[in-house]
Amino acid sequence: MRTVLLTGLSFVLTGAVIGNAYYQKKQFYPSVVYITKSNPSMAMLYIQAFVFVILMGKLMRKVFFGQLRPAEMEHLIERSWYAVTETLSSLHTEDRIDYMERSPVISLLFHLRAITLITLLGILDLYFINHAYYSTLLKGASVQLVFGFEYAILLTVLFMAFVKYILHTLDAQNENPWENKAVYLLYTELVLGFIKVVLYMAFMMIMIKVHTFPLFAIRPMYLSLRGFKKALHDVIMSRRAIRNMNTLYPDATAEELQAGDHTCIICREDMIEFSKKLPCNHIFHTSCLRSWFQRQQTCPTCRMDVLQAPRPQQVPQTPPPQQQQPQQPQMPQNLFQGFAGMPPIPGWPPQQQPVQQPGTSGASTTGTPATPTTPNTPGSGTSTVSATGTHPSTTPPTSVPNMPPFMPPMFPFFMPYSGQGMPLPPTRPEGLTDEELKVMEGQERQNIEARIQWLRDIQCLLDGAMILIQQYNTVASQSSIPNINLSGTPSNNTPTDTNKASSSREKSTESSPVVNNDRDLDKDLSDLEGATGYTPPTEEMIPSWEDPSQEEHEDEQHEVRRRRLEKFSQPSPNNHIVKEKAATD
Amino acid sequence: MAGSALRRLMAEYKQLTLNPPEGIIAGPVNEENFFEWEALIMGPENTCFEGGVFPARLAFPPDYPLNPPKMKFTCELFHPNIYPDGRVCISILHAPGDDPMGYESSAERWSPVQSVEKILLSVLSMLAEPNDESAANVDAAKTWRENRMKFEEIAAKTVRKSLGI
Repeated sequence: MRTVLLTGLSFVLTGAVIGNAYYQKKQFYPSVVYITKSNPSMAMLYIQAFVFVILMGKLMRKVFFGQLRPAEMEHLIERSWYAVTETLSSLHTEDRIDYMERSPVISLLFHLRAITLITLLGILDLYFINHAYYSTLLKGASVQLVFGFEYAILLTVLFMAFVKYILHTLDAQNENPWENKAVYLLYTELVLGFIKVVLYMAFMMIMIKVHTFPLFAIRPMYLSLRGFKKALHDVIMSRRAIRNMNTLYPDATAEELQAGDHTCIICREDMIEFSKKLPCNHIFHTSCLRSWFQRQQTCPTCRMDVLQAPRPQQVPQTPPPQQQQPQQPQMPQNLFQGFAGMPPIPGWPPQQQPVQQPGTSGASTTGTPATPTTPNTPGSGTSTVSATGTHPSTTPPTSVPNMPPFMPPMFPFFMPYSGQGMPLPPTRPEGLTDEELKVMEGQERQNIEARIQWLRDIQCLLDGAMILIQQYNTVASQSSIPNINLSGTPSNNTPTDTNKASSSREKSTESSPVVNNDRDLDKDLSDLEGATGYTPPTEEMIPSWEDPSQEEHEDEQHEVRRRRLEKFSQPSPNNHIVKEKAATD
Repeated sequence: MAGSALRRLMAEYKQLTLNPPEGIIAGPVNEENFFEWEALIMGPENTCFEGGVFPARLAFPPDYPLNPPKMKFTCELFHPNIYPDGRVCISILHAPGDDPMGYESSAERWSPVQSVEKILLSVLSMLAEPNDESAANVDAAKTWRENRMKFEEIAAKTVRKSLGI
């Protein structure tokens, strides 16, 4: 109401000014001169021009947009902070095209308006660019240069809007939602971001060369650079997460879907097929997960960072996150000290804190030699395997048949031991303080971590024992002492052969011959009694890691322990086999 | 995307109408546009906002479950965590990744697991227990902290105003 009044007033006043001038001077030319000479009249005319511009804007809006929605209004006000008048209509177009996505029904009028507007703005932009270009060519660098670049930038924005429009139109024509749309949008954004950055760079260069440092361009340039960097980062991270999803995470099985709530928490629809399970055991639709990963690379439910989580070794070109890498070289050394210490010591030295030992994830890759050293308790041996091999946040899955990235650290194993840094052997359970025991009880994360730490230390030691056996084998093969037969591999082990042997052993522990191996090795180890430099690990030497009163409740305890571990280990097909094996035992 | 956002909003609408949580009514402003909702929030009991009915608007982004909606009270509300213009400042309404205040960890922010219902429940508990440590309305936070009597007086006034008395 007030605006109408103000507009009317300005019209009346302008009319009065012009009428007055004409009344006084009677002729056209003198009255124009009179008006331009008089300051109040000029001010009035300026105001009138301003009113005209606003009216024009309103008219355009009426034609192309119709009623502005409140959200658009808000957006407009938000943006107007740094929006120049020319940009407004372009930004506007984008907003309106975003609206396409939300509205269930889109009228023909909408299409007509959108297309006309885009074409019109495009032509206008092109015209201005053209104009600026030629005027620069003809008259040399002038203010037109700035305008030219400004319009070029606008054109990219417009182009983005156009691409969005096309994508939305295509999407609207399909019945089912179009999964890849977000990907295309992401890439368009990336490309346009790049173009913008290049444009600003070129603009900077030219301006610095021709004129002076264009201070006013710093802000938009910074913004576009930041936008580009973000787009690039997003693309890289999301690609990585999606590749992880496609290659690593298992499809959710029907039982898993049946067992839990089978509603996808992202879209709130039932999951029947095409769903994936994350390392944290949460299940989602593949498509929903993909679009979420395009924004964030975390589990929607528990926010576990999927890129920080165990990176399986099958993907050597993307190195695993930092915390794993620096530890790899230490691994062999770590092993050795324990080695040097292990054979002569019948019991574990007390008062040591195994919990503080670094959890070398590499340890698990050397396989699962837990089985031979705990011959009487096959259950515990196998459950150790399933626990260490599958803890979601620390150790990669056991299914690593070929593990190229971790092979190199194995070679130093075959050097004579050099006696430094290895996880200290765990204390006997009796020697543990109450606090230490408490740390390992309970269902909290830290408790479980502590437990797994124990298991891992034990595994590390066992790995060491395996290597000793292999070393013995290599020596024995040259001096015709009976070999220890490792899962049926040829007894003539050269150092490289032992590599193979150990990796084949991993496979075998995961598949059927687990139990047989136990027995074989057990026998072989007893053959070995008294061999130089090696005492076979007998029952007294290797204390069970958790329960001191194991004799009575052994089976019961194992059952409990195994169930507990099962709960926290992530079941993968391989582990199922192992566990089933253990169960049948 | 459009379809899935729409479907999810429809599902949430259905859920909210079938099992409405106590003290909350919410639904699209009109059935043609599911991306603009109106919500009515009742002042929680035993707080200074008890008895009030506060209208709010929710605006959903086109990629809704992946990005949070925006929420704004359309009535006057003097509260430490509501901006003077009505926008609500709670952590689960902030898109993950960017933290405007550099204050909360990403674990508290938006994820597709959240829903309209959860947002509104969070707002309810925010009304009941203002967090004056990250204030959106500094005056309100100051009054809340230093002059509880006055805060309650103002709250009572807004309650009466919201009921049209």
